Amino acid sequence: MTTRPDPTRRRLPVNGVDLAQRARTVARNANRRVRGALRAVPGLRPTPVPAGVAPVRRRRNVGADYDTSWARAWPARMTRALLVEGLVRPMMGALASPTIVGLDRLAGRSGPMVFAANHHSHLDTPLLVSAIPEPWRHHLVVGAAADYFFANRLTSPLSALVVGAIPIERQKVARRSADLAAELIEDGWSVLIFPEGGRSPDGWGQPFRGGAAYLALRCGVPVVPVHVEGTGRLLPKGAKFPRRASTTVTFGPPLVAPDGEDARRFAKRIEAAVAALADEHSTDWWQARRRAHAGTTPSLQAPPDGAWRRTWALGGETERKRERWPLRSSD
Amino acid sequence: MPRPGLVLDVDRSTPAVLFNHGEQLRLEKLPAGRSRIIYPAEPLEPLADPDGAIAHALANPIGDSEPLAALLRPGMKLTIAFDDISLPLPPMRSPDIRQRVIEAVLDLAAAAGVDDVMLIAALALHRRMTEDELRHAVGDRVYDAFAPHGLLVNHDAEDPDNLLEIGTTRHGEVVEINRRAAESDLIVYVNINLVAMDGGWKSTATGLSSYRSLRHHHNVETMEHSRSFMDRHNSELHRSNWRMGEVLRNAGIKVFQIETTMNNDVFGTTGPLAVLQKREWEWSARDRVAVHAMKTGLDRMPARTRRNVFHSWRAPHAMTSVQAGEVEAVHEVTTANVYAQHLVPVEGQTDILTMGLPYIGPYNVNSVMNPILVMCLGLGYFFNLYRGKPLVREGGVIIMSHPTPWDFHPVHHPSYIDFFEQVLADTTDPRVIEERYERQFAEDEWYRHLYRTSHAYHGVHPFYMWYWGAHALSHVGRVIIVGGDRAAVHRLGFTPASSLSDALEMASDTVGPHATITHLHNPPILMADVT
Amino acid sequence: MRALVFRRKPVRFAAAVAAGRLAPGGGASVGPLRHEDLDPPALPGPGWVHISPRLAGICGSDLATVDGRSSRWFEPVVSFPFVPGHEVVADVADPAAAEAAGAPGGRVVLEPVLGCVARAINPVCPACARGDLGNCERITFGAIAPGLQSGFCCDTGGGWSTSMVAHASQLHAVPDTMTDEDAVMVEPTACAVHAVLATPIAPGATVVVLGAGTLGLLCVAAVRQLTSAGRIVAVAKHPTQRRWAADLGADVVAEPHELARAVRRVTGTLAVGDGDIDRLAGGADVLFDCVGSSESLTGALGVTRPRGRITLVGMAGHTRVDLTGLWQREIELVGAYAYGTETLADGTRRRTFDVAFELVAAAGLGRLVSATYPLERYREAISHAAEAGSRGAVKVAFDLRRRPPAPIPPTEPGAP
Repeated sequence: MTTRPDPTRRRLPVNGVDLAQRARTVARNANRRVRGALRAVPGLRPTPVPAGVAPVRRRRNVGADYDTSWARAWPARMTRALLVEGLVRPMMGALASPTIVGLDRLAGRSGPMVFAANHHSHLDTPLLVSAIPEPWRHHLVVGAAADYFFANRLTSPLSALVVGAIPIERQKVARRSADLAAELIEDGWSVLIFPEGGRSPDGWGQPFRGGAAYLALRCGVPVVPVHVEGTGRLLPKGAKFPRRASTTVTFGPPLVAPDGEDARRFAKRIEAAVAALADEHSTDWWQARRRAHAGTTPSLQAPPDGAWRRTWALGGETERKRERWPLRSSD
Repeated sequence: MPRPGLVLDVDRSTPAVLFNHGEQLRLEKLPAGRSRIIYPAEPLEPLADPDGAIAHALANPIGDSEPLAALLRPGMKLTIAFDDISLPLPPMRSPDIRQRVIEAVLDLAAAAGVDDVMLIAALALHRRMTEDELRHAVGDRVYDAFAPHGLLVNHDAEDPDNLLEIGTTRHGEVVEINRRAAESDLIVYVNINLVAMDGGWKSTATGLSSYRSLRHHHNVETMEHSRSFMDRHNSELHRSNWRMGEVLRNAGIKVFQIETTMNNDVFGTTGPLAVLQKREWEWSARDRVAVHAMKTGLDRMPARTRRNVFHSWRAPHAMTSVQAGEVEAVHEVTTANVYAQHLVPVEGQTDILTMGLPYIGPYNVNSVMNPILVMCLGLGYFFNLYRGKPLVREGGVIIMSHPTPWDFHPVHHPSYIDFFEQVLADTTDPRVIEERYERQFAEDEWYRHLYRTSHAYHGVHPFYMWYWGAHALSHVGRVIIVGGDRAAVHRLGFTPASSLSDALEMASDTVGPHATITHLHNPPILMADVT
Repeated sequence: MRALVFRRKPVRFAAAVAAGRLAPGGGASVGPLRHEDLDPPALPGPGWVHISPRLAGICGSDLATVDGRSSRWFEPVVSFPFVPGHEVVADVADPAAAEAAGAPGGRVVLEPVLGCVARAINPVCPACARGDLGNCERITFGAIAPGLQSGFCCDTGGGWSTSMVAHASQLHAVPDTMTDEDAVMVEPTACAVHAVLATPIAPGATVVVLGAGTLGLLCVAAVRQLTSAGRIVAVAKHPTQRRWAADLGADVVAEPHELARAVRRVTGTLAVGDGDIDRLAGGADVLFDCVGSSESLTGALGVTRPRGRITLVGMAGHTRVDLTGLWQREIELVGAYAYGTETLADGTRRRTFDVAFELVAAAGLGRLVSATYPLERYREAISHAAEAGSRGAVKVAFDLRRRPPAPIPPTEPGAP
């Protein structure tokens, strides 16, 4: 039996959030100083706005409005491909040791697809970007929460460059997000969407929203249900540093909405398909199929019970730091 | 649109022809003016949506059968039998056709609430498949769901507790098949029809049967009267199997047959081996360089490496049709679909038939092509790939090209070694062999043990290899092997030659100096429709 | 007389060892064996006569001696210098003297073992008393110098010469109907007869004979003709040997690497190993190892059934063998040397040589003499004999018949 290494030992003695905040402050101050200095140079001083004229409101350049088209031009694509193959995949391989199941269900297929996955952790995106096979991997955009990944001018270009993210409004149905995604699909891009709209707060799933289904219906492309397992242990919501854990990515058979199915029902079916993949992962394919047909596939969502029962039903262990007495030198 | 096969008359401008030579290649000039080459058709277009086609076939059966979904009900006993490692050749890229079909069948069974399901590799007297081979055939999902519970098994033709005698045909042939299959409410047979011999009643009546039952059609008499065994309507082998099928049907055994055909795209249109599938006069400069480099490289490689290189090849061939329902009706359609890919019309017979034998045959997947298998591939399979009459005239000469090493896979082919050392040292006459030795090998305790517990072909299997060539042996006047191990070729009772021109010279002793030559360009497989 | 003499010469001996390693029989050119002109040996005592060899075979033990491969076991039981050659058919030099000594006149075959009677030891040892001359306990004692057989003793001379001495008890008259070739095969045949008759072989038993040199082939013939064994599996390296083995009565002839498979097929037993045979689960009832190498013994232990019997006919020398199988399967491993008197199935006792004479005649074993050489071409002869198998030969012999008769020395002791 392997003993789990003490996670506290791997951690760096500095706090990442602190560091980021400190960096942000430094950058902001520097920005301010540079601008101040530039203003001092007569030729570079901004033209003053004449009195009585309402200034044109500058377009917000972050959030859902962030223009990511540059990240799909060749230089950025090449950079991203290099980053994904040279950095993200090896890192995820080492960190998440992913088992990828069900690629045969995609064999012989091509063309744009919508990949719809459950969502546990920020590492879902890099994991899936490394797990989704060619020809889709390098022709992929990721629907990312506009309010989170495109929150400011530092994270926006990074998200767009590194994972090919496009901003998606998660609080409301945004015409702009949907149009952009549909346009990209028509251009031959595939889209990775987490229809839960955010990471699981407690390990249980959340209801699937209609975005993926709507996109697939609108563009007439299949939806590939994807189940990700294990990233919750890797970097649960709220954790600051990832730990090593093993993960499984299961691809399901591509789903096509039959004529007359609306987005809502299609979304339900996608959710059921992901749930069946989860079932397939925890039992076996035959059990999963039988339960799927009998309508008894365990739901991804939490039972409607009290908080303690939700946690209880998840099983597993929560890590606790324990004082040991007497101290033993052997471990 | 894929081009059909053709017969090319060799003149002085015809380039050297590519001969497969086991895991090596030969480039041979055929004599101008009296030679012709039969080229296979190009690969047919695959089905655009194989899963959709399978679902459609299961829902719309052929012949007197209900849709599969209607045959499934809760509480029933369902057995899914599938073809073994000998099909297709070479093994195909994942996902295997069997996996697609079995998953579709199981999904319907799951929907119908069927609990009692068993999967059986219908391997008759072939070797048991390894875990990797089973995983490749049925896919990881099915394997992981069934194998750990003992619900995915290799058929065992020597397990007296798991065989059931069903009856006797009007010709006195005993019909005995796997007990689990026989006692099931429904057998679903998942088949791959690589050549016209496969499928029909041969699937169940041979694949799931025992030595006791098999010997009624796996014998010299039957094989000499199967002209050819690739042409069901002129094959005694198939008549016997069809009689057995009748017994099975009358005994109330219900078989839902799913047959699939595939195109002959074994080396692909791109990739390192693509050139092996091109017609020589269409080779680009790059192709010519590739062939020469490949030939030189292979010639210098150790035999083992060479074997590993070729046996790791997974062919891109794809499904061209799937049909399901009642066995005989399904098989008629399947055969027509196989012929659509394979048949090449050829006018008249030839004096000398030449063939380059490839590295793989049905019985050496992941294994060694031993001399007995060389004989079976050339004189059994390739010779019999005809409809009408044999490509070579009676008393003609067959020239095969293969290194024919005196080499055996001890785990897969233990009885072959004894057959080669003992039986062939005594005689090569199939009838004498059958009479004198078959029983001893068939009932040998050790072979039985290895067949049942290891991965060995049954003790009697090398005899069948020899019987498979019986029709050719009685038909042709002489067999010459080019580039073979001399001792091994002599042991087979054939003549060794070091080059094709030597072989043609030797052949002229039998068929005269101006004999006509036909070269069977292969692989991929073709079937000559000789008129 | 002309003779090939083997003297104790350490330097030459070392050279022979080296040459023998390079090429079988190579020891003949550089070793202690020399072609010389010698005085014929004097008669060691009463009962001894001079004989003039006609044909003298080259035996495996002779070749081992020439190439310096013999075990040091032999050192105390030979005396130097000696003239090799113990497979001898000869003419009695002086029929009158022979009659006086109680020996047959005319053509004779030599039974070379030098037992108590020849050594003038009286009373004889228990083995000689039983007639088991090969087991004589006094081979280094008595009136003549140590020597287990004529051909290894400095007092008797040997067959590789034109003249030697023999005790009357050692001589067997050759019937006129028998050729010299048949007669020269009697001595090796007697060895095979002894090995086979000393081994219990049940009716129908499966018998394996490893090695198809002279002794191996003769064992095949002896098993076929003298026992009611079932199937005989002969293992032979070379094609000619395989043909001979089949001709002399082997049912299955296999190459050495086919041994385990061949025995398994014949016995129908199971085997240990996954297709590649490690060893058999059961195996042959009786095995004659006529090779005596570590490989042959290892192979033998792998194909003999539990409580089976291995008779070691070939001279083994220093051999490394894992005997775990011998222990675990309770296999009997018994040697078989020379000859004497045999107990037949019906309980009667007969001299081995008498049985051998009959066997030679019945099976026409003289056919096994493949080549004869005059004495002066001894290097060729020895290298031919050493490579007999690969050169398609079985028995190579010296033909001494064309030589002028050697002058008959005076019969009285002490005369020049």
